[in-house]
Amino acid sequence: MKNKKMVSIVLGIMCFALTLGIFIQIRTVSGTNTAVGQTYEENNLRAEVLRYKEKYDNRYQDLEKAEKELDKERQSSTKNNSELEQKESAITQGNKMIGMSDVTGPGVIITLSDSKAEVANALDPNSLLVHDGDVLSVINELKNAGAEAISINDQRLVPTSGITCGGNIIEINGEKVGAPFIIKAIGLPEQLAALERPGGYLERLKKDTVGAKLERKNSITILKYSGVITYKYAQNVE
Amino acid sequence: MVVISILIGCILGAILGMNAPMISYTYSSYLAIAIIAALDSVFGGITSVIKKNFDLKIFITGFFGNAILSILLTILGQKLNVDIYLAAIVVFVGRMFTNLAIIRRYYVDKWTNKTKE
Repeated sequence: MKNKKMVSIVLGIMCFALTLGIFIQIRTVSGTNTAVGQTYEENNLRAEVLRYKEKYDNRYQDLEKAEKELDKERQSSTKNNSELEQKESAITQGNKMIGMSDVTGPGVIITLSDSKAEVANALDPNSLLVHDGDVLSVINELKNAGAEAISINDQRLVPTSGITCGGNIIEINGEKVGAPFIIKAIGLPEQLAALERPGGYLERLKKDTVGAKLERKNSITILKYSGVITYKYAQNVE
Repeated sequence: MVVISILIGCILGAILGMNAPMISYTYSSYLAIAIIAALDSVFGGITSVIKKNFDLKIFITGFFGNAILSILLTILGQKLNVDIYLAAIVVFVGRMFTNLAIIRRYYVDKWTNKTKE
């Protein structure tokens, strides 16, 4: 009798341990993603991203409409007040400078595209691609040549813009931008066209068979920066 | 009595297992092999009961010993980059099938004897 009690207690403990282990294992395995689950999850995430993008676009359109209305309101309300009119023009001027308003004027369009040469024939396959450094150098030369407004694939360059490498794309203002890079710059076209000079950066890119085309234009429109510039740490000096 | 204690053990284990913290995925392979070893011991125990040579001490040591040994072997295999756990699974599952066959034979025989009478 005592032996039987012992047996049942031991068996109970064993079953306890076994089921405990099995359940923990099942929960652990079901908590981790298998290959199938991952693609399913990825699809869901992709759909969600697209949904949010659509929402964002709609909201952005609303915002633009509202901003236009605000501009109209401001203009009509400051019409008969010279002081306010001055302030208004200062705001417009400031917005133009920091890239918060669309601008138009003469300038150049530079197109940087990856080389069409065979990768297998190249000594260094990296030299066939347009890198973030190339874009950065071209931007620097454009600024040197007196460009007043610059955009890359419609990403406006603002004081807080950064250009970084993001794998097979580059990131500008935190947005992904892929080749070919269409760089629009407003300034004196004759000066900006000096980028094509022998020994210039575009010339060097062309030597690597990277596509670098410069066109002078009488009128280019550069869109405004779609994000928000926020200064958290810089304070005005009293 | 035995059945009741087994049931209680199973239910307690299930409830605790559902609420227990999840172990990290790296250790789950050890747990899996331990579970297989323990299951093998359980079937072995049932077989020995049928064969009437059941020994509680051997059963207990087999249950825990096999589980711990298989975990240690798996760890050793990972250190040596040899999938020792595959061998353990083959042995345990093979033995499980043999034991299941013995159990099945025993009950089929019992049933045929009963229908003959």
